[in-house]
Amino acid sequence: MNHKLLLPNRFKSIGWMILIPATIAGIFLISTEYEASWLTTKVFAIFNDDLFFGNNESIGGSKNFTMITTDVTNTLVGLLFIVGGMMVSFSKEKREDEFIANLRLTSLMWSVWVNYALLLLSLIFVWGLAFFNVMVYNMFTILIIFIIRFNYLLYRSTKSMADDK
Amino acid sequence: MTNRIKVERAIHNLTQEDLANRISVSRQTINAMEANKYVPSTVLALKIARVFAKPVEEIFFLEDKD
Repeated sequence: MNHKLLLPNRFKSIGWMILIPATIAGIFLISTEYEASWLTTKVFAIFNDDLFFGNNESIGGSKNFTMITTDVTNTLVGLLFIVGGMMVSFSKEKREDEFIANLRLTSLMWSVWVNYALLLLSLIFVWGLAFFNVMVYNMFTILIIFIIRFNYLLYRSTKSMADDK
Repeated sequence: MTNRIKVERAIHNLTQEDLANRISVSRQTINAMEANKYVPSTVLALKIARVFAKPVEEIFFLEDKD
């Protein structure tokens, strides 16, 4: 089987160690709208516009290829979540073989289907600024659904193994 | 497709784990094949046939629906 696109198994536990705190931090950020002021820093922006995020340097304008000062709390948590989630999703199992690869691919396809089904429903039924939240969640849902589905299928096949000695 | 891996395993006195180790796959894979939930690749079918020292056709069988 072709394993070229998978990371070594040890990245899986590293991934969980990043993903779990990032999830907790993410839930905390969503529920409190907390912004860590000590995380306000200068960053390089290929593109910056101030429609949603206040930036006192250029109110209402947009800037390209420039340094800006902004709060990076959401950015950091999102970044950690994606890096952790990718590691958990795409690290080899202890014994990665063709059956596991098959489960992996079916789960991936399943998660794309479910993700876009949810997105379609949201497109039709969620309006206004709330849709901005939908887009934010949608950045992470494919990974979340994939991880849940793949681990469920793995669990199910391990369980049926225990039943059948 | 159906197969008689389980029977062959019993004849050769191998556990699922033993067979899995012999052909470097997970135990889940052996279990899924025995439950007819997974059709192995040609490579894997040939490896299994080699362990049991039989031609592939004596271990794997096509069904009407195939």
